[in-house]
Amino acid sequence: MEKKPTIPRLPHAFFKWYCQPGMYEEMHGDLEEFFYERAAEKGLFTAKLLYLWDVLRCFQPYAWRRPTAPTNAGIIMFRNYFKISLRSLMKNPLNSSINVFGLSVAIGIAVFVYAFASWTFSTDQFHEHKNEVFLVTFLADRDGTPQEYGTTPRPLGAMLREDFSHIEKVCRVEDRPVVVKYGDRVYHERVRYADPEFLDMFTFPLKQGSKASLADLNSIVLSENMAEKYFGTEDPLGKEVLVKFDKDNGKLFKVAEVAAKFPASRTISFDFLVNFDNLRTSPAYNVHDWSSTVAATFIQVDDPFNISSIEPGMDKYKAMQNSAVQPDWAITSFAFRPLATLHETSEYIKDGISRSSKDNYMSIVFMAIVAALMLALACLNYINIAIVSAAKRLKEIGIRKTIGATRGTVAVQFLAENVLITFFAMLLGVGLAMGFFIRGFEQMWGFDMDFRFSDTSLWVFLPATLLFTSLVSGIYPALYISRFQVVSIIKGSVKFGKKNTLTRVFLGLQLVFACVFITSAVTFTQNSAWLGARSWGYSQHEALYTGLPDAQAFTQLRDALSSHPDIVSISGSFHHLGRSEQTAVLHFPDRQYEAMELKVDARYFETLGLQLVEGRAFRENAANDKQAVVLNATLAASIAPGVPTSEVLGQVFDIDSTRYEVVGVVADFHAYDLSNKVEPTFFSLANKNDYRYLTMKTKHGTEKEVYEALQGQWATLFPETPFMGGYQEDVWGLYYEVIDIHAIVWQVVATMAILLAGLGLYGLISLNVVGRIREFSIRKLLGAGLSSIATNITRRYAALFAIALGLGAPLSYQAMNLLFDAAYTYHMPIGFSGVAVAVFVLIGVLLLTVAIQVARLRKFNPVNGLRVE
Amino acid sequence: MQRIYLGEFEELVLLTVGVLYDDAYAVAITKEVEKQSDRSVNVSAVHKSLYRLEKKGMLDSRLGDPESKRGGKRKRLFNITPYGKKALDESMDLRVSLRKQIPELAFKWQTN
Repeated sequence: MEKKPTIPRLPHAFFKWYCQPGMYEEMHGDLEEFFYERAAEKGLFTAKLLYLWDVLRCFQPYAWRRPTAPTNAGIIMFRNYFKISLRSLMKNPLNSSINVFGLSVAIGIAVFVYAFASWTFSTDQFHEHKNEVFLVTFLADRDGTPQEYGTTPRPLGAMLREDFSHIEKVCRVEDRPVVVKYGDRVYHERVRYADPEFLDMFTFPLKQGSKASLADLNSIVLSENMAEKYFGTEDPLGKEVLVKFDKDNGKLFKVAEVAAKFPASRTISFDFLVNFDNLRTSPAYNVHDWSSTVAATFIQVDDPFNISSIEPGMDKYKAMQNSAVQPDWAITSFAFRPLATLHETSEYIKDGISRSSKDNYMSIVFMAIVAALMLALACLNYINIAIVSAAKRLKEIGIRKTIGATRGTVAVQFLAENVLITFFAMLLGVGLAMGFFIRGFEQMWGFDMDFRFSDTSLWVFLPATLLFTSLVSGIYPALYISRFQVVSIIKGSVKFGKKNTLTRVFLGLQLVFACVFITSAVTFTQNSAWLGARSWGYSQHEALYTGLPDAQAFTQLRDALSSHPDIVSISGSFHHLGRSEQTAVLHFPDRQYEAMELKVDARYFETLGLQLVEGRAFRENAANDKQAVVLNATLAASIAPGVPTSEVLGQVFDIDSTRYEVVGVVADFHAYDLSNKVEPTFFSLANKNDYRYLTMKTKHGTEKEVYEALQGQWATLFPETPFMGGYQEDVWGLYYEVIDIHAIVWQVVATMAILLAGLGLYGLISLNVVGRIREFSIRKLLGAGLSSIATNITRRYAALFAIALGLGAPLSYQAMNLLFDAAYTYHMPIGFSGVAVAVFVLIGVLLLTVAIQVARLRKFNPVNGLRVE
Repeated sequence: MQRIYLGEFEELVLLTVGVLYDDAYAVAITKEVEKQSDRSVNVSAVHKSLYRLEKKGMLDSRLGDPESKRGGKRKRLFNITPYGKKALDESMDLRVSLRKQIPELAFKWQTN
C-alpha cells in the first residue's frame, strides 16, 4: 500500500484544542476521510487547504469544549460578588452614575496630568547619546552672584578635540538670521551652522538623504516643516536653494537631507542646517578669537564617567580666555551639562541654546495638586454615598454573615465591588482624557503631546491609579459596613446614617475644595482681564515698527513715508523695545551694575510715547549728547536708592571706559510681556549709520492704513527682502492668548469641582430624605407646609455649610495669594470678590438641591411612606 | 399541539439519513446531499444538523467499527427514530395540504 499523506499539524492541533473530547474521534474521522480522498483525487496541496477550511468551518459552538464548572470556592465566591455588584449598580442608577461619573472625571484629569508629565520628562530622551553628549558652559561672577552662560569662546571647541583623548566628538553650533530663496518663495529664516558631527551626536530621525551630507560644504539639511514650506509636494532632495547671508553675500546649497518630523518634545532642533565652515566665508567671523563666543559647543565623551577627568584640564583655557577679554567679562570656570538633563538645567543657563521646560514643571506640580484634589472630591463622594446607601443592603449583609461570612469577607466583597466601579470609571476616564482633556489642551496650545497607549509606564500608572483610588475610596465604607452585628441588623436596631460625623466632615472637605476651585476660576478670569488692561508704559497701540536690512534703508523708507498725512513721527534706532537690546555693565567708582541698553534716536521717546518723569530726552543734532543716557525708573532707583529721582540727574558712570552722564529718567515700561520683570534699562544715542529699526507713531485709528503704506513702500524699495515690520502691540506674540488659556483651564476645573460637589450633595440629601421618608410623611399628614419641610432639610446642612465656608473662604483667599505670586510676575491685587462668588455659588447649589427634593416631596403621597408591608 | 419545527437543511439531512439507511454517517450524507440536491455542502453544516436532530430526538446513533480510510477512527452512524418519522410526515403533509389549497387561478398567468 502507498504511503499515507499526513494531516497538516497546526490545523489538527487547533481542532484538537477546540473540539469536545467526546466528539473528536467521529468528527475528525470524517475530516480525515475527506482529506485522504481529496489527496488522492486533487493533490496533496488542495487537500491540505480544504482540510484547513473544514477545520475552520467546524469551529462552531456545537463542537466546542464545554467550560468545566469551577470547583474553586474562591472563584465561585468572586463570581457571586461580581453578579451582586452589577445588580446593586443597576438598582441604584442615580448613585452609581454619580460615583462612576465623578471618579471618571477625576481619573481623566489624572491621566491628562500623567500624559503632560510624561511629555515633559521625555524631552530630548530620544537622542541615543544623551548621556555622553555635554554642553560646554562657563561660569562668571555677575554683581557678586555666579551666573552660568551657555556660550563658549570660539577657539575652545577645536582645542578640546585635540587635547583630550576621552572626547570623541566636538560640535560647534552657531545661528544666523538669513533669507532663504527657492523659486518665488523668499522668507526670513534662521540657519544653524554646525560641525558635521552634529547629526551623529544628536540622533534626529531622518526622512530622506544621508547623515554624512553635513560634511559637504555645499549641502543643506532641512527639517520636515521647511521642506514642506519651500517644496510642498515636490521632492526636495538635490534641489538648490539660495541662502542670502546678508545683502551682498549669498550661496547656493543643495538639499542633501530632510529630517523626519521631530519628536514632540525636545530642546534642540533646527530649520536649516549647514556646515560650520560656511561661517568663514563671511570674513568677519574669526574662529581663533578668544574674546568672541560661539552660540554653543557640544562634546561627546567615550564614557560619561570620564567627564570628571576632563574638568581639571579646563583651567588652562580659563587663563587663555581671561587674558583675552576685559576684566568685566572674566570667567571663573568651565562646566559641562549633560544633554539628558539639559531641559532642566537650561533654566539657569543664560544665553543657552536650548529651551527650558521649567514652566512645565511648575504646571505639572499645579496640575498634580488639582488632580489629587479632584480625586479626593470624587472619593469623598463615593465614601459618603456608599455609607448612606448601605442602609439598603443591611439585610444582605445580615444574611451573608448568618451563613458564615466573617467581617473580613464582607469587607472584601465591598472592596471588590468598588474595584469594579473604579474600573468602569477608569474606562470612561481614559476616554474623557483622550477625547476631551488632552485634545482640548493640544488645540489650545497648538502642540502635539504624542500620547500613546503603547507607552509601557502608562500600563503601570493606570492599574496603580485603579488600585489606589479604589482602596482610598473603598476601605472606609467596607470596614464601616462590615462592622454591623447580625443580631442588631435582624432586630432592626442598627442606628444608621442619621448622624455620621465622618460623612459630615467629608462633605465639609468637599465644600472647602470646591470653594478653592471656584475662587481660583473667578480670580484667574478677572486677572486675565486685568492683565489685558494693564498699561505697557508706552502707547503700543499707535506704534508701528519695522526691522531694516541696513541704515541706508532707513533714509529711503523715511523719505518715502514722511509725507504720509497719518504719520505723526518717525524714529530710527539700533535696538527696539520688545525686539532687541544689549547688556552693558555700568561702572561707578565704588560699585557696578548690569543693565539693558537700548540705542535709539532723539525722537524715539516721543514716537513710542515713553513718559519722561525727570530731566530731558536727547537733543537732536547735539554732539555732546553722545555721552548722555536716559534711565528707566527701576535703574534710577537701584543706582541711587532712597533719594528723589531728580538727584539721579547728572550722575556719571563708565561703560567700557567711556564716561556717560544721566540726563533724564523715564517711567517704567514693559518691553517684554508681563511674565517678565521690568529690567533696569537705559537709553543712549545710536549712531546714524547703525539704524536697524524704524518706528512710527500714527494718528489714532489709522494704524491699518499706515501699515499698508509701509508694506507698499517696502515692496517697491526692497523687492528682494521679505517684509520685517509689524504692529507694536503684536511684539508680545501669543502672550494674551496664553493668559486666556489659564483662565479657561481653571474654568473647566471649577466647573468639574462644582459638578462633583453638587452631585455629592445631591446624592447625600436625596438619600437622607429617603431615609426620613416616614418622618416627612407624618409631618405632611399633620399639615406641615413645604417651607417647613424645606427648612427642616436645610437645617441639617446649614451648620455644616457655615463651618465649611467659614474655613474655605479664608483658605481660598490665602491660596489665591500664594498661587498668583508663584504663577505671575505681575498680577492684580487679590480681592474678596472671587471668594464671594464661590460662597454664593455653593449656597446656590445647596438651595437648588433642597428645592429639587422639596418638589419631589410635594408630589409624594404620604400614605405610601407610611404603609408597612 | 405545537408543530414540530424542522429547518429546510435539517429536513434534507433527515431525509438523506433515511435514504442511506444503515450507512448514514456524516461523510456519506454530505456526498449524498451534494449529489441529490446538486449544491455544495460543507461537512461542518451536516455535523451541526445531525447533532441538533439527535438532540431533538429525531435521530439516534451508534458508533461503527474503526476503518483505515478514516485513520483508524470509528464513525457515528445515524438512523431515524419514530419521532423523526412523525416530524417528516407532518412536514410533508403540511406542504401537500398547502399545495392543494392553491387555487388553480393563481397559476393562470396572463401573457400580455
